[in-house]
Amino acid sequence: MVGLAGVVGLVLALGERGGTTTAAGHPTSLAEALPDDDPLGPPPRPGLAIPRPELLASGIDGVTLWAPVLRALTVRAAPSETARIVARVTATTPERTENIVLVMGPTHGSDRLWVPIRGSGTTGWVPREALGGYEAVDTRLLVDTNALTATLLRADEVVFRARIGVGTADAPTPTGSFYVRNRLTRYRSALYGPVAFGTSARSSLTDWPAGGFVGIHGTNRPDLLPGRVSHGCIRMRNADILELARLMPVGTPLEIT
Amino acid sequence: MQLDIDALDRDGALRETTAGVPRETRKDFLVATLGGGAALAALVLAEPGKAQSKADVAILNYALTLEYLQAAFYTEAERRKALRTRLARQTTRVLGSVERAHVSALRDALGAAAVKRPSFDFQGTTEDEDAFIKTAVAFEDLGTAAYKGQAHRLDSPQLLAAAVSIHSVEARHAAWIRYLAGALPASSALDEPKSMAETQRLVASTGFIVATPSTQSQEEPRFTG
Amino acid sequence: MTVATRTDTPASRARFLRLSLAGAGTLTVGAVLAGGVPRLGRSGTAQARDVEVLNYALLLGELQVAFYRQALRRAKLTGELREFAQVVGGHKREHVKVLRQALGASAREIPRFAFGTAVSSPKQFAATAIAIEELGVAAYNGQAANLSKPVLQVAASIVSVNARHAAWIRAIQDKKPASQPTDEAMTRREVLAEVDRTGFVRS
Repeated sequence: MVGLAGVVGLVLALGERGGTTTAAGHPTSLAEALPDDDPLGPPPRPGLAIPRPELLASGIDGVTLWAPVLRALTVRAAPSETARIVARVTATTPERTENIVLVMGPTHGSDRLWVPIRGSGTTGWVPREALGGYEAVDTRLLVDTNALTATLLRADEVVFRARIGVGTADAPTPTGSFYVRNRLTRYRSALYGPVAFGTSARSSLTDWPAGGFVGIHGTNRPDLLPGRVSHGCIRMRNADILELARLMPVGTPLEIT
Repeated sequence: MQLDIDALDRDGALRETTAGVPRETRKDFLVATLGGGAALAALVLAEPGKAQSKADVAILNYALTLEYLQAAFYTEAERRKALRTRLARQTTRVLGSVERAHVSALRDALGAAAVKRPSFDFQGTTEDEDAFIKTAVAFEDLGTAAYKGQAHRLDSPQLLAAAVSIHSVEARHAAWIRYLAGALPASSALDEPKSMAETQRLVASTGFIVATPSTQSQEEPRFTG
Repeated sequence: MTVATRTDTPASRARFLRLSLAGAGTLTVGAVLAGGVPRLGRSGTAQARDVEVLNYALLLGELQVAFYRQALRRAKLTGELREFAQVVGGHKREHVKVLRQALGASAREIPRFAFGTAVSSPKQFAATAIAIEELGVAAYNGQAANLSKPVLQVAASIVSVNARHAAWIRAIQDKKPASQPTDEAMTRREVLAEVDRTGFVRS
């Protein structure tokens, strides 16, 4: 409510009700002069229900930004054109989706902007204009290759857990920090169940075609789960992968321990 | 006094209100609640989610797109942590929270008719304080002008009331961010409206609305297995 | 909204931002008057209500004009506050011009105003300015539904400037210019009652 009454209180408290020294007059009541049958009706109640504004949760660390890669690019060790090249990132994934990277910190520079990113098996700097728009996710997937569990957190709260199959001793699931980079559906092979996620994690099987990336997917052998049964991929029951697909967006960081 | 209900019942809500009242008491109900013709407006209830005219849906979706844009811009700026001054950071937090509330309200009102959130690429303007301030000034002035261009075209008086009230808030934002930028918060006595076409052209010229990245496909997984 | 390709954006975006910062929205009073502030004065329910609202807006407008004029004379304003009072006072005079142009012979007589201690110091001035500007925004928002569409458009051009004024003086006083997602709307009776309480209106 407008605080004019409060101002008035302040004004009146100082002892003068207004009025110039040249012409006193007496205060007029404008409201009283209005006709009872006031042709100006009250405003309609607004037709939009606006919720109370909420600040972003202070745990901004629970949010991860990712961005698509607009072209094949080199990742450099420092935010400079002349810095050492640490890796190259392709514009597309083997499944022909736009490749994406995670944004790892604030942008550097003013004239030319550089962004610290995580790509497949690499971190480093890329020029801002090589990336598309940022998308935010508030989920994280934790895969424990010892306990054979996958746990999805949203804003640090557990929203999903499942028992999983991971790689055998000869073809272990790699450990480290990765991310989910695509979602695949309606493919032919039942080996992968109804939906599959590609990740930035690479298997140690370096001779695998298409780079040897590890995925998270369903299975036509749920009897093998939980267990060390795959060539590195993370497998779960089809009901579980469907549930995970409901909850986990592309770009979700993946921690494998 | 003989009252012409139709003349006063601008969107049929009054008929809905009285429809449940038994016939013999309806006259008393109307007489008792009327202090004057325009007091009927007080009886027209705000019902978010109520069906809107096609024209109103189009206007609300247009407003929603602009609010998506502003909300995403401030939210990203806050997340990128690029703003140096405390004042800029505080302003961004508040403006972001308000624009997100506007998005929420418009989506609720539109229900299934709401346009989806576009994908945005702010191309560094959320990552450098000078670029951010300039862009924010442009957005808020544009938002004010856009609401001004459409509010009077709304069929529903309740939506008009809502639009008018958001419009003056956008104008405050415009003044606020101009003040931060060291520019005159109000540079002229009269603010100009902008048409939908002009607004859309300006937004398109920024390149901020982009195609959603394609991260899904129906290809066979090329995993190790 | 159309999706722009990347190749054409940097220059066009730069132009958009330059225009905005320079103060796009430089609708002059002359342009408004020429372009068609609707002239009122004919009979008809819509016109009669428009006349009521515009006279009410004129009263508030003249109150604001007088306030800023008296403040510049008496409130010992310097720096930011002085600039604010000068710029805003000028805007209010333009608003009154537009309103009078629209009303023509239907404009009613305006009482005199005196602001006493409300303009006796910078601090008093600023506190009063905040309240007067907020009241102006609430007053206009309360009347939007009572205006015919052409007049509403003119009113909309005025109210957003008033809202800028409100945000501006709040910013100068280190108050948040806007923390709510919507602005209040007050009825004429409520607004005039508030004005009565100030004692600023002399017969």
